[in-house]
Amino acid sequence: MRLAWRNLIQERTRLALSVLGVALAILLILLLQGFLRGMFRQIAAYLENSPGSVVVAQDGVVNLLGATSLLPQGAAEAVAAVDGVDRVVPILSQFVILDLHGRKQPAYLVGYDPAIGGGPWEMAEGRRPHTDDEVVIDRVLAQRHDLLLGDRLTIIDREFTIVGLSQGTTSWMTSFLFIRKTAAEALVRAPRATSFLLVSPASGQAAQAIRDRLGGITGTQALLTTEMIANDSRLFGRVFSAPIRLMAGIAFLVGTLVVGLIIYTATVERRREYGVLKAVGAPNRVLLSVVTLQALAASAAGSLGGVALALASARVIMRLRPQFLIILEPTAIGGAIFAGLLMAVLAALLPARVVGNLPPAEVFRR
Amino acid sequence: MLRLAIRNLFQSRARLLITAGGVALSLLLILTLDAIFQGVERQVSAYIDQSGADVFVAQAGVRNMHMASSSLPASALEEVERVPGVRSVTPILYVTNVVSIGDSRNVAYVIGLPAEALAGGPARVVEGRGIPLPGEAVIDRSIAVKAGVGIGDVVKILGRTFIIAGLTTGTVNLVSSVAFISMADFREARAGSDAMSFLLVRALPGVSLADLAARIEAQVSGVTAQPTAAFAAQERRVIRDMSTDLIAIMNLVGLLIGLAVMALTTYTASLSRRAEYGVLKALGARNADLRSTVIFQAMLSVALGFTAGLALTYILAAVVPLTGVNLLLLVTGESLLKVGAVSVLIAGASAVLPILQIGRLDPARVFRGGIGR
Repeated sequence: MRLAWRNLIQERTRLALSVLGVALAILLILLLQGFLRGMFRQIAAYLENSPGSVVVAQDGVVNLLGATSLLPQGAAEAVAAVDGVDRVVPILSQFVILDLHGRKQPAYLVGYDPAIGGGPWEMAEGRRPHTDDEVVIDRVLAQRHDLLLGDRLTIIDREFTIVGLSQGTTSWMTSFLFIRKTAAEALVRAPRATSFLLVSPASGQAAQAIRDRLGGITGTQALLTTEMIANDSRLFGRVFSAPIRLMAGIAFLVGTLVVGLIIYTATVERRREYGVLKAVGAPNRVLLSVVTLQALAASAAGSLGGVALALASARVIMRLRPQFLIILEPTAIGGAIFAGLLMAVLAALLPARVVGNLPPAEVFRR
Repeated sequence: MLRLAIRNLFQSRARLLITAGGVALSLLLILTLDAIFQGVERQVSAYIDQSGADVFVAQAGVRNMHMASSSLPASALEEVERVPGVRSVTPILYVTNVVSIGDSRNVAYVIGLPAEALAGGPARVVEGRGIPLPGEAVIDRSIAVKAGVGIGDVVKILGRTFIIAGLTTGTVNLVSSVAFISMADFREARAGSDAMSFLLVRALPGVSLADLAARIEAQVSGVTAQPTAAFAAQERRVIRDMSTDLIAIMNLVGLLIGLAVMALTTYTASLSRRAEYGVLKALGARNADLRSTVIFQAMLSVALGFTAGLALTYILAAVVPLTGVNLLLLVTGESLLKVGAVSVLIAGASAVLPILQIGRLDPARVFRGGIGR
């Protein structure tokens, strides 16, 4: 143990650089996972904060954000007539692309009836829209594009006045916009159109039972809100998980190589000493454990450094770019530390081979 | 001195492998991220690029297809047809919806095509027909293969049942694919409105597309007209603008990792050759000579890493589609230039520590035995 420690700290700059290398690899792995986790939270925000525990969509549509839904005429009335339904909130929603200061900004437009609900759940400033030319936009979107209350915003081919800024309605991909449902109908030229119905069961009624009872309405599909959130997460997870897994895998390999390099160099440099130890009777497993301990120590320091760096970087990124939500969960941190330890084990393989193949007699011939 | 640098570098093959490998992987991080987003950009505009249209006409203010909707009155069709320079106009209906096959649901751009469509249909039909008749659908082959269905099987789109009449290729991306149904079916599924989403204009030979788009906007009210190339560029910009910050952050981390790896390996290599550098100094070699040796060594390592990183990226680009993931990795010249610049930066910065160390080296200590390996 002492030998491993001495070998490791003998060249401190080298040790510091390798710890930094591992730390950066762990930082990247954690940031990527944190982005994904944060994105899931952000895309679930609307349904989690809107009224109702059942969502009625067009038949075949199982996502809020993945596909455009258009319900058949009369669906709201049919749903309201179902036994056990307490409240039905219709919304007309779809993505729009805003051109703001020469940049394309995707936004999820929600047309809702302020008297019924389905609009912004938390206002940072201003008020909800009263007329068809008023809009509530996300606070972070407003900040990023220097938009203030009273400013005009063009959505598709119509101008709206910003009357309120909502809170918790953004993500790095898109932000939410809220207008009156009648304004949305005019904007997409679809009078009396409805995309989704947010359904609240009457007290004492189970959401699952209501969902099953709503299953018979032609041209529609009923899902629990939690199911729809899970579907959205699955859809976006499918989109982003492949690239993120690829990047995290590369980061893992980099970390392994960094630890491997320092342990290999330290082992080669101390080859004579290892030879002497072998010659005086130290078994291979003692020498292997010295090598592995060095790798574990360097990786552990790097992993802990990486976690600290990730926590600090996440705060800085979210302050500078508030559209990003980075959630570092304890399980992700535990996984990253485990990845660091795995790096150590893999990194010790080559140096262990060097030590294992070392002929003890060689040291006396030199 | 250059020979010394090369010898230093190639003396320990394991170290060289780790050095070049570490740099290669760091650069691979940057190259891959760029390649992924470039690929997504290419895929997202694939339908527009292959539509056969010269000009796209949309509802006023609509400059995109992806994450957008457009609604044009039926009267716009005749008005656009009357604009000088227009050869043909094909209306299409469009919505992002779901293609359901059994339990599998796939997000798709659903296109409603008229029977006599001259543009906007599938570019590459691998089986069956490209223009669907009422009750029929044309979907991407990879979606059909994944769900285990083929021509004659049933698919559900816009909540209605269709028979698969054609299979296409090249329309699928990480998020969605393109499915085609007849315009009549689309209208029926969407409450029978006679509105159209886009008008796909083909121009007469020799007509300037920019001028034609401007003429359409001037003569037809309530529309935005763009040459196809410009429309596709707008589509790609959505992805670019959305991902700029994310790419910048990840590139920075990739750069820092590359820097740490290179600094570590260059420093370690110089450290192990400290005694030789001391001897060279004692024999009269100038600091400038030793510095250039270190810098050359760093440049060479990075060049090897860059080459390996690029090769790995191309290998990944070839292998990833074989895994069934609809991810296209596209390496562009712009990305290569960026990574090349990053490599030079990494090489230069990584040489700083060893240079400082060599500068402080006391040649006399070599003879006193004070410089070990």
